[in-house]
Amino acid sequence: RGQAAENQIPNVVPPSILDLRRLCQEGKLKEAIELMDKEGVKADANCFRALFELCAESKLLDNAKKVHDFFLQSTWRSDLQLINKVIEMYVKCRSTTDARRVFDHMPDRNIDSWNLMINGYADNGLGDDGLQLFEQMRENGFKPNSETFLAVFSACGSADAVEEAFIHLESMKTEYGIAPEMEHYLGILGVYGKCGHLNEAEEYIAKLPFEPTAVVWEVLRDYARIHGDIDCQYRAEEIMAALDPSKAVTNKNPNPPPKKLTAINMLDGKNKISEFKNPTLYKDDEKLKALSGMREAGYVPDTRYVLHDIDQEAKEQALLYHSERLAIAYGLISTPARTPLRIIKNLRVCGDCHNAIKIMSKIVGRELIVRDNKRFHHFKDGKCSCGDYW
Amino acid sequence: KNDGTDEAAAERRRRKRRLRIEPPLSSLHRAQQQQQQQQQQAQPQKAQNPNAPKLPEHVSALSGSRLNLHNRILTLIRENDLDEAALYTRHSIYSNCRPTIFTVNSVLNALLRQSKYSDLLSLHRFITQAGVAPNIITHNLIFQTYLDCRKPDTAMEHYKQLINDAPFNPSPTTYRILIKGLVDNNRLERALELKEEMDVKGFEPDPVVYHHLMVGCVRNSDVDGVFKLYEELKEKLGGVLEDGVVYGSLMKGYFMRGMEKEAMESYEEAVGENSKVKMSALAFNSVLDALSKNGKFDEALKLFDRMIMEHNPPRRLAVNLGSFNVIGEGYCAEGRFKDAVEIFRKMGDYRCSPDALSFNVLIEQLCNNGMLTEAEELYGEMGEKGVNPDEFTFVLLMDTCFKENRPDDAAEYFRKMVDAKLRPNLAVYNKLVNGLVKVGKVDEAKSFFDVMVKKLKMDIASYEFIMKALSESGKLDEVLNVVDTMLDDDGVEFSEELQEFVKGELRKEGREDDLAKLIEEKERQKAEAKAKEAEAAEAAKRSARAAVSSLLPSKLFGNKESESSSAEANGNAVEASVVN
Amino acid sequence: AAALFSQMRVAGLEPNHITFITLLSGCADFPSESLKFGASIHGYARKLGLDTSHVMVGTAILDMYAKCGLVGFARVVFDELMVKNSVTWNTMIDGYVRNGKVENAVEVFNEMPERDRISWTSLIGGFVKRGHSEKALEWFSEMQVSGVEPDYVTVIAVLAACADLGTVGLGLWMNRFVINEEFKDNIKISNSLIDMYSRCGCIEFARQVFEKMPIRTLVSWNSMIVGFAVNGLAEEALEFFNLMQKEGFKPDGVSFTGALTACSHAGLVDEGLLFFENMKRIHGIRHRIEHYGCIVDLYSRAGRLEDALNVIENMPMKPNEVVLGSLLAACRTHGDVTLAERLMKYLFELDPGGDSNYVLLANIYAAVGRWDGANKVRKRMKACGIQKTPGFSSIEIDCNIHEFVAGDHSHVEAECIYSMLELLSFELKASGFVS
Repeated sequence: RGQAAENQIPNVVPPSILDLRRLCQEGKLKEAIELMDKEGVKADANCFRALFELCAESKLLDNAKKVHDFFLQSTWRSDLQLINKVIEMYVKCRSTTDARRVFDHMPDRNIDSWNLMINGYADNGLGDDGLQLFEQMRENGFKPNSETFLAVFSACGSADAVEEAFIHLESMKTEYGIAPEMEHYLGILGVYGKCGHLNEAEEYIAKLPFEPTAVVWEVLRDYARIHGDIDCQYRAEEIMAALDPSKAVTNKNPNPPPKKLTAINMLDGKNKISEFKNPTLYKDDEKLKALSGMREAGYVPDTRYVLHDIDQEAKEQALLYHSERLAIAYGLISTPARTPLRIIKNLRVCGDCHNAIKIMSKIVGRELIVRDNKRFHHFKDGKCSCGDYW
Repeated sequence: KNDGTDEAAAERRRRKRRLRIEPPLSSLHRAQQQQQQQQQQAQPQKAQNPNAPKLPEHVSALSGSRLNLHNRILTLIRENDLDEAALYTRHSIYSNCRPTIFTVNSVLNALLRQSKYSDLLSLHRFITQAGVAPNIITHNLIFQTYLDCRKPDTAMEHYKQLINDAPFNPSPTTYRILIKGLVDNNRLERALELKEEMDVKGFEPDPVVYHHLMVGCVRNSDVDGVFKLYEELKEKLGGVLEDGVVYGSLMKGYFMRGMEKEAMESYEEAVGENSKVKMSALAFNSVLDALSKNGKFDEALKLFDRMIMEHNPPRRLAVNLGSFNVIGEGYCAEGRFKDAVEIFRKMGDYRCSPDALSFNVLIEQLCNNGMLTEAEELYGEMGEKGVNPDEFTFVLLMDTCFKENRPDDAAEYFRKMVDAKLRPNLAVYNKLVNGLVKVGKVDEAKSFFDVMVKKLKMDIASYEFIMKALSESGKLDEVLNVVDTMLDDDGVEFSEELQEFVKGELRKEGREDDLAKLIEEKERQKAEAKAKEAEAAEAAKRSARAAVSSLLPSKLFGNKESESSSAEANGNAVEASVVN
Repeated sequence: AAALFSQMRVAGLEPNHITFITLLSGCADFPSESLKFGASIHGYARKLGLDTSHVMVGTAILDMYAKCGLVGFARVVFDELMVKNSVTWNTMIDGYVRNGKVENAVEVFNEMPERDRISWTSLIGGFVKRGHSEKALEWFSEMQVSGVEPDYVTVIAVLAACADLGTVGLGLWMNRFVINEEFKDNIKISNSLIDMYSRCGCIEFARQVFEKMPIRTLVSWNSMIVGFAVNGLAEEALEFFNLMQKEGFKPDGVSFTGALTACSHAGLVDEGLLFFENMKRIHGIRHRIEHYGCIVDLYSRAGRLEDALNVIENMPMKPNEVVLGSLLAACRTHGDVTLAERLMKYLFELDPGGDSNYVLLANIYAAVGRWDGANKVRKRMKACGIQKTPGFSSIEIDCNIHEFVAGDHSHVEAECIYSMLELLSFELKASGFVS
C-alpha cells in the first residue's frame, strides 16, 4: 500500500497524516478509520488519543476494535498512557472483557491503569469484579491512591456492597493515610444512592463531619429521583435550594401530592377505622375480587389451563401461537408504547383470536388494526369496529 | 479488616453467582440484550426457569429512552395523575422501551403514599409477571403495603422469599419497616425475633428499631421489656446514646413503675441544656407524649414551645404532625377543647398538614363532649384541606347525630360514606338501621337494607331485624320481599325459627300460604338454573371432546380422563389446527 | 384501416415503415380480431426486410405479437432484430409482463444495455399485477439505488403494492416523495394514495388526501366510500355517497358496493335493501355478483339466514364461493348446522378445491360438538387432496415487512416475541378472557 502511494503522480497529493489529524479533529471517526484502512495512513500518538476518545464517545465496539488493531501495529503500542486510553475506550464501549484483556497483557501498569479498570467494572455494573481487582492490586503491593478509592466506592455502589464501602473508607484513612475529601464522601453517598438505600443516605448526610453543602443534597435529590422517593426528593431539593438559591427549581409543580393518611404520629393506637371498615371487598366489586383472588394464587404464570397431558407439539398450538398474535407481539416489542399496529392477514381472523385481540387492545393500550381477507378490524379499548361480525 | 470484606463479598457473591451466569435477558432493553447475547455466545444457552429470581437492573440502565420514560412518569406522578402513571408504565411493558425497575418503584411509591393499595398490588403483580426484576426498594414498598393493610403474615412470607431467593440483602430500612409494622400489628414477639436476626446478619444496632420495639413493650405494659431493650441498645453502642429516639418509651417505662424521679432524670438527660443527645421530631414527640400522658402536661407545653423555637424548616424539623396530635390530645384530656381546636388550626403555620386520623381524634373528642356543632365545623374543614374523611369520621358523626336526636342527618352521613366509595361494615349498617327503626323510620331503614344487601354479607340477625321492623309496621309484602332476597343469598340459611316467625306474621292476615308459595317458586327457579348450567357444561365438554378426538392426532390423548379438565385447552388446539 | 391498406396495395403503392407501424399498432389494439391480419402484415414486412432491419417496424411487430398473447413469436422477432433501441427492449419486457412471464421479463431486463424509467416501471408494474407486491417493492428500491427517477406510472404501481401489503410506512414515504414531484396533483396518484391509505387502515389520511384534491373523479369518491365502508365507518361512507351525488357525480356499481357494505356493517338492513332496489330502478345499474354478496352479507349479519339463502337461490347468476362463504360464516356465528350443510352442497360443486369453506364447516361442526360431521369434512378434504392454506400475518416495522405463520420460531427475535405472548396470554386470563 505504501508503494502504491509512492507511485502516485506527484501532483496528486496522497492523503497524509494531516488529513487524518483533520478528520480526528472534526470527529469524523468513520472517515478516519477508512483513511487508515484504505490509504494506509499511519496515526501518531495524538491521533490515536483522539481516535480512542471518539470510539469511547460513540460506544461502537467494532470501531474500537479496528482502531485498537491499528494501534497494535503501530510504534506506539507500548505507550503506557495510550494503553490506558485503550482500556478506557473499551470500558466506555461496554466491553469489560476486551478492556481486561488489554489490562492483563500490559507489561507495566501504573496506578491509572488499575483505577481505570476498577472504574470500568463499576460503570458496567460489574462491581464485584472491580472489588476483586482491587484486592488483587493490594496483593500485588500496589498502593492505592485517592482516585483508587473513588473507583472502589463506585464499584461498591454497583455491587450493592454498602458495608464493604465503609471498610474500605476506614482502611483508606488508617492504612493508607489518605484523608477523605468531599469526593470520597460523595462516593459513599453514591454507594447508598445506587443501592437504593435512601433513608440510610439521608442519615449519613446528617452524620457527615462537615456541614453538608448544596452539592451533597443535590446528589441525594438525584438519587431520590431515580428511585422515585418523592418525599425525599422534595426535602433534599428544598434544602439544596435554601443553601444555594441558584439551584432552585423554578418551574416546579407547586403542590406535592397529599401524604398518605397514616402519617408519622403518636396516634397509632387510635386508628379505629378497622372497627368500622369492611376488610374485604364488597359483593358488587366482582372484578376486584377476581384480581385479588389471582393475587393470592401467587404470581406464578398459570399454564395449567393449557398444559394437561398434551405433548409439546399440541402445547404450542394450545398456547395459541396464531400468526396474528405473533405479529402483534413482534409489533409490540418493536414500537413505542401506544402507537397503533397494523397487521395484514391472508385468511379470515378466527373467532378466538378476534376475541383475544379485542381484549389485548385494551391491555396493551393500543389500537390494533387487522386487515384480513374479508374486512378491516379496528380494535380499540376492547372493542372492534366490525361489531363482532367477521 | 480484610476478613470483613471477604465475608461481605462472599455472601454477596453467593447470592449472585447463579444469576451472574444468566443475566436477566428479558428485563433488559433489547439493544443491550443483543450485545449481551454476543458476549455470551460461548456459553451454552440453558433453559431458564422463568420464576427464578433475577438480578435487578443497575442504575446505569436508566439512560436514553428509558430515562425519558422515567422522567415522563415522574412528571405524571407530580401532577398527581397516578392512574395514568400506572397505566403508562404497564403500556410501556408492551413496547420497545420497557420501564426500568426504578420507574416502576416510583409509581409504586406514589401509590403507597396515597394508600392505593389494590392498584399498587395489581401493578406489582403485573411487573412481576412481566419479568421486571424487583430491587430492595420494591421489596420495602411491598412490605409497607402489606403491613399497612394489616397483613403481617403475608409481609413476613414475602420477607422469607427475599431472604431465600433475592440476589441482594435487605437494607436497614427493610427492618425498620418490618419491625414497626409487626409491632403495630401486635406481633411483638416476631418483631423481637427479627431484631435478633438483624444482629446475626451483622447489621448495626438501630435505635429506631429499638424505639419501635420499646413502644410495643409499653403498649403491652411490659416494663421489663422496655428496660431490657434500653440496656441492650446502650451496651451495644458502647454506653453512649446519641440518638434520643428511645427516651420517650424509657420515660413511659419509669412512669409505669411509678419511678417519676428516674423518668424526669431521663428527660433531663435527653433534652437538658448540656445534652449531646440528638432529638429528631420523632424523638421529641415520644418524650412529649410521655410527659402529657403522665400528669406533666405543663412540662409538655414547655417542651412544645421549645420545639417550635427549634423548628426551622427545611433544615431542622423539630415538630411534625405528630407533635400537634399529642398536644391536641393533651388539651382535650384537660378538657380544654377550645385550645385543642386552636392549636389544631395553627398547624399550617409550621408546615404541618393534618391527616384524617388527626381530624378523627379531635372530632371524636368534640363529639363525646357535646360539641357536635364544632365537630361538624371541623368535618367541613376537611374538605377545604383536601383530607378525605374515612369510615371512622362518618360513623362518629352518624352516632352522635343519633344521640342528639337528628336521625335524618345521621342517615345522610351514612349515605355520604357509601357515596364516597368507602366500605362500612355490617356493624355500622346495623347501627344505622337500629337507629332509624328506633325512631320509627322503617321505610328509610328498608331503603338502606336494599342498598347494602347487594354489597355486604348480611347475617341472619340483620335479616331478622329488618323483617321484624317491617312486620311491626304491617308491611307484609316488604317482609316477603326480604325473604325473597334472603333465599337468593347463599351465605345464610332461612332458619326454622325465622320461618315460623314469618308464617306467624302472615297468619295474622290470613296469608299463611304465601311463604310456602314463595319458597316453592324459588326452589323451582334454582333447579331450572342448575339444570341449564349442567346442560351447558355437558355440551361444552362434548364439543371439546369431539373436536379433539376428531382433529388432533390420537397419540396426544393417552389419558382420556383428562379430557374434561383440559376441555378449554383442547378447544383452543382445535382452533389452532383447523383455522390457521 | 385494414381496408384502406388493401386499397393501397391494390393501388400498387409501396407501403413504407410508417404505414406498417400504424397498421401494427392498430392490430395490437384489437388483439382478438386482428391477429391473422397482423401476422400477414408481418409476412409482408418481412418480404421487404423491414422486420429485422427497421427498428421501429420490428418493435411494432413485437408489440403486436405480445399484445396478441404470442409472446414466443414476439421473442423470435426480438432476437432477429439487428438493431434494438430502448423502446424495443421495453416492449419486450412489457410483452413478457403482459403475459405473466415475469422471470423472462427480469432476464431481458438484466440483459438490457441501459434501463430507463419505462423499463423499471414495466417490471415493477408486472410484479404488482401478478400479486408479487413484495418483489415489486424490492425492485423499486433497486430502482432508487440505480438513480433512475420514477414517473407517475411507477408511483402508481408502487402505491398499489403498498396497498396490497398494507405497508403504510413505505406508503407515507411515497406520499412525501410525491409532494416534491411535478406530478403531485395528478388525479390518478391522489386516487392511488386514497386507496393505499384506506387499505392500510389509515382512513383519516385517505380523507386528508381526498380533501386536498383540487379536482376529483368518480374513482376518488368511490375509493373513499369503499374505504370508509371496509374500515367500519358506515356513517361516513353513506355520507360521502350522498355528498357525491350532490356534487353531481352519478354513482356506479362500485359506489353501490361501498354503500351496501356500509349498510351491512352498520346493520342497516332496510336501507341496504332500498339501495339495492334503487340501484336498478332509479340508476339503471345492473346487479352484479358482488352486490348480491353484499345483500347476503347484510342478511347474514342481521341473523336472517333464511332470507340470505333465499337471495342466493334466486340470484340470476351462479353464486360464487365468496357469497356462500359469507353465509357459511354466519351459520357458524349462529350455530346453524343444517343450513351450513345445505350450503356445502353448493360449495362442493362450485369450488371443490377451496379450503377455507371446508375449514369453516369443520369449525361449525366442532363448535356444536358434531364431531362426526367435523370428521367427515376432514376426510373429504383429505380425499380431495385439499390442503389448508397456511395462515400468515405480516406487520411492517420501519418499512420492513415481517411475516409470521402459526407457531413460527424462525424470527431472530423469536424469544422476545414468545415471552411477550406469554405475558399477553396471562394478562388475557387475568382480565377474564376465556377462549
